[in-house]
Amino acid sequence: MTIRRLLLGAAAMLIAGPALAQAPAPAPVPGWAIGRPEGSTLAPHAPRLTVTPLDQVPVSSIRLPPGFQAEVYAHGMPGVRAIAEGPNGTLFAGTRGIGRVYAITRNADGTTRTRIFAQGLTQPSGLVMVGNSLYVFAVNRVLRYDNVEANLDSPAAPVDMTAAFALPTEQEHGGNHHWKFATLGPDGRIYTNVGAPCNVCEFDRDRFALLVSFNPDGSDRRIEARGVRNSVGMAHHPVTRELWATNHGRDWIGDDSPEDSLLRVRRSAEDFGFPMCLGTWADPEHNRGRACSEFSQPAALLGGHVAALGMRFYTGTMFPEQYRNQVFIARRGSWNRNRLSGYDVVVAKLDAQGNVTGVEDFMTGLRDDANQRFLDRPAEVHVLRDGSMLVSGEQMGAIYRITYRQ
Amino acid sequence: MILGRFLAAAFLAAATCGAAVAQDARRGAELAAPCMQCHGANGRSQMETIPSLAGQPADFITIQMILLREGLRQAPAMAPFAANLPDRDIEDLAAYFAALPPGPPDDRRPSDPALLAAAQALVGPRHCATCHVADYGGRNQIPRIAAQREEYLVAAMTQYRDGTRAGPDTQMNGAVVGLSDADIAALAHFLAQKP
Repeated sequence: MTIRRLLLGAAAMLIAGPALAQAPAPAPVPGWAIGRPEGSTLAPHAPRLTVTPLDQVPVSSIRLPPGFQAEVYAHGMPGVRAIAEGPNGTLFAGTRGIGRVYAITRNADGTTRTRIFAQGLTQPSGLVMVGNSLYVFAVNRVLRYDNVEANLDSPAAPVDMTAAFALPTEQEHGGNHHWKFATLGPDGRIYTNVGAPCNVCEFDRDRFALLVSFNPDGSDRRIEARGVRNSVGMAHHPVTRELWATNHGRDWIGDDSPEDSLLRVRRSAEDFGFPMCLGTWADPEHNRGRACSEFSQPAALLGGHVAALGMRFYTGTMFPEQYRNQVFIARRGSWNRNRLSGYDVVVAKLDAQGNVTGVEDFMTGLRDDANQRFLDRPAEVHVLRDGSMLVSGEQMGAIYRITYRQ
Repeated sequence: MILGRFLAAAFLAAATCGAAVAQDARRGAELAAPCMQCHGANGRSQMETIPSLAGQPADFITIQMILLREGLRQAPAMAPFAANLPDRDIEDLAAYFAALPPGPPDDRRPSDPALLAAAQALVGPRHCATCHVADYGGRNQIPRIAAQREEYLVAAMTQYRDGTRAGPDTQMNGAVVGLSDADIAALAHFLAQKP
């Protein structure tokens, strides 16, 4: 597999041509560093791409509300993130840096078996099951593995759907926010994100910072929401069928604002304001004199730089009634902040009208405040059919299972 | 597509590792003999285009070896060594090389004031020291670039600029975007001359 050719940052924005006609003369700094203050030494945390032995998986540090327990469901999968479940119960898990898709099956004795299902891909972080087919979104590349659960050990070559979806390439993203999350809507369409091509900049708002949906064959692209800086988690409300999504705030402008957020998309193509605004927060350089009240507001704020990723509504019956149809959100944890925040799973509580009445801690214990270190990074939540909940821990390559007993 | 082989090896490594310290530099030293053929007897490469590994952060070596093993970084000379290498071997090799004292190659050329001056105008705006830290010794996944071989630094920066190499993220591609060949030559010289 050859490394995709990259032409990044400002140079890529020039090459993108007409789509970026409104872009100003490119600054001689890469997209992610725009706005970085002089002297800052903040940098992304190193990923762990090697297997973490089971006895080093920090399950015993996890704290949950009374009655809940955590166990290791599967492990030995460096970089594990998004989870998609097949009709026969096979779990598929995507990654970024290590380029793999894992498949997890359950043995007769209740233990799990883990396979490397695909490898050598560029950031295959978006997974979605459509019937018996697994779709893998690896940046703009879209691969469809048909009848996938029947061929776990010797999958047939996937159908390459890349041209049909025609997502922006890594070059067009300038190497920024090009990785995908994907989910299936109740309408049978595939929903995914197209992130902003920078930390913050001017860009084509019909092309980037979007939530989009497609027919499963890649046709009929529809903008579901715009002005969404980068979403790496989406789900549809099980009753109202509305699309909800997590969104990341911009970097380099303070520890606590703008905040990551939870978005509720009430109308097709509604505008959440980036780069002019993030919620009520007006960008000092990119606001263009717009009032933030012109734009759709988040359903909830989730904290500065917490990296809210996977989110799912709890649709099982194992957990107490109070959690039914509430939103569980994995917060992968901060890097662009002087003190660590996130590294947990929170619950957004909704009232009968779907308004968020509060955001509560659910799974904690993976952030060590005293020593400013973290034990794992929750990246995805997934409700199993028995009502238990899986949480993927990207840093330690483990999937935790949360159960409840009275 | 190769299925399960890497994971099986990794599981075996994890199982045999037990409660012992995950990274074992002494075991790494025993595994390192083939590496030394090109990367130098003390981890300081005397061979053109081959990087020095002495004093590199262990995370950096580990992550690069994984990228090589998985076919996500292309370096043909490394392919046979990286193929199927278990995680534990990689971590132990990384611990070994990280513990070796860093230093320049024996054949480092004299410093060129004009190149140093050109580089001085670039390192600030490019924020090199932000990630590579003030002495360019690196940290975590970010490599030591001080006293690295000059022609290797030229090659690496050129690959990042031209999009033929990426790390586990694309930070370095962004950092060198738009540099001219002359800019890269000056930066490489400046860094190679560091202690």
